[in-house]
Amino acid sequence: MEKQSLPKSLNIDTLNLMNGMSLDENEIQHRKDWLQFDQSDEARLTELNEMAQGYADEVIESLYEHFLKFEDTQRFFEDPNILKRVKNLQKQYFLRLTKGNYDSKYIEERLKIGAVHASIGLDVKWYLGAYNFYMRAVATRLFKAFESKPEKALAAFFSLTKLVYMDIGLAIDTYIYQRESTIQRQQEAIRELSTPVLQLRKELLILPIIGAIDAQRARQLTEQLLHAIRDKRAKVVVVDITGVPTVDSRVANHLVQTVDASRLMGATLIITGLSAEVAQTLVTIGVDLTKIHTVGDLQGGIEEADRILGYQLIDSPADPSHLSSQE
Amino acid sequence: MVDDQVSIPILTDSDIVSARQQARELAKRFSFSSSELAGIAAAISELARNIVSYATQGTVNVSLIEEANKKGILVIVEDQGPGISDIPLAMQDGYSTSNSLGLGLPGVKRLMDSFEIQSEIGKGTTVIVKKWVLR
Ligand SMILES: Nc1ncnc2c1ncn2[C@@H]1O[C@H](COP(=O)(O)OP(=O)(O)OP(=O)(O)O)[C@@H](O)[C@H]1O
Ligand SMILES: [Mg+2]
Repeated sequence: MEKQSLPKSLNIDTLNLMNGMSLDENEIQHRKDWLQFDQSDEARLTELNEMAQGYADEVIESLYEHFLKFEDTQRFFEDPNILKRVKNLQKQYFLRLTKGNYDSKYIEERLKIGAVHASIGLDVKWYLGAYNFYMRAVATRLFKAFESKPEKALAAFFSLTKLVYMDIGLAIDTYIYQRESTIQRQQEAIRELSTPVLQLRKELLILPIIGAIDAQRARQLTEQLLHAIRDKRAKVVVVDITGVPTVDSRVANHLVQTVDASRLMGATLIITGLSAEVAQTLVTIGVDLTKIHTVGDLQGGIEEADRILGYQLIDSPADPSHLSSQE
Repeated sequence: MVDDQVSIPILTDSDIVSARQQARELAKRFSFSSSELAGIAAAISELARNIVSYATQGTVNVSLIEEANKKGILVIVEDQGPGISDIPLAMQDGYSTSNSLGLGLPGVKRLMDSFEIQSEIGKGTTVIVKKWVLR
């Protein structure tokens, strides 16, 4: 994990998070049911709020004292202003635990906290440790306050445990979700990078495709290719599919569509690298390959492209022999 | 015997690739020609693709079979998806509810030696195909 200090403000799109993680009313209720968190828990926690206000500052001070003992957590609080701000946020967070209304608004706030910690690169272990610290700090105080009624202290502590576990669950899910989103974004970036449209010479582009083509990638490839055709004013494109492991009717369909679209942009598409067996199979399935101009290998494809481009040079009004034959 | 059969759960596009590969590996043990192997792989690809497109999840079962002097491969592709309401229509070239080519099912039938399809609305679809080694 790279070193980062806490940014001034972090824009976290919580609504997007809620949707992405499918945290609707149903799912929230489901999580509560699983933890057996109900109205009585909510009531018990709300009752603690006044008391919590009394010890919040103390608990938070000791938590940060603890944080500052460790290098990994220390580095986040080098700036005293940040430390002050974070302590204040922490206090709000801490008091929120005993304020009731554990609804979707509450969940949203929790996700935001999880997301902020994930994006500053704080490992889950520190996060969990802090929760544990809270639980111990609160337990000690609860049992002291309800010295004569330990069963009341225990019940309140259990309610708090349920809520904290829900928060922990949400925080961890946010971490996972963010990491997965990052991986997905990186994969998309790699895909885009791994399919360069190369300009071989004036008016001739080459698009070597490596890896499986699914619907999303096919769309992306077609789009990329059409842009390149426009930007480079290409007349011929050689698409090499030697590196595509499965060419089925779906892929063939994409190729046919790309051929059509390129034609509309004024470019001819040549497909190379389609093995004879696969071509035969596609024809048996019923794919109309007549629309697709296929040439065995990339070398042959480039030669064919040159032939087509050469044709166009001759194919000008300056060539009388051609004009006469056009009738 | 256990090795003569593979069962591949199908959920995503990459499962389709792995079903094709595993079926190909299995089929290689019998002397299928390379174009027959390509045909088997294509058939599995079409059927598995239909699972991903229409039924979300299912299974591809591939086994080597021997029957009265002939050897071949048996592919059973099943799902618990929505089912197909009009099978003869679905079997027509060019019929597609997803704006695709509509060639998957009729194409598989042309590629394989035998083709059976069962489907019940709300219950799912099973396609059973066989390809024999030419001798
Ligand atoms: N496993 C399935 N479950 C439900 N419906 C299916 C299933 N397989 C096929 N169908 C239906 O049958 C139609 C025809 O299938 P077929 O595979 O022949 O064509 P397609 O999938 O539409 O197009 P293509 O396979 O050429 O991309 C589909 O459009 C779909 O409505
Ligand atoms: Mg299909």
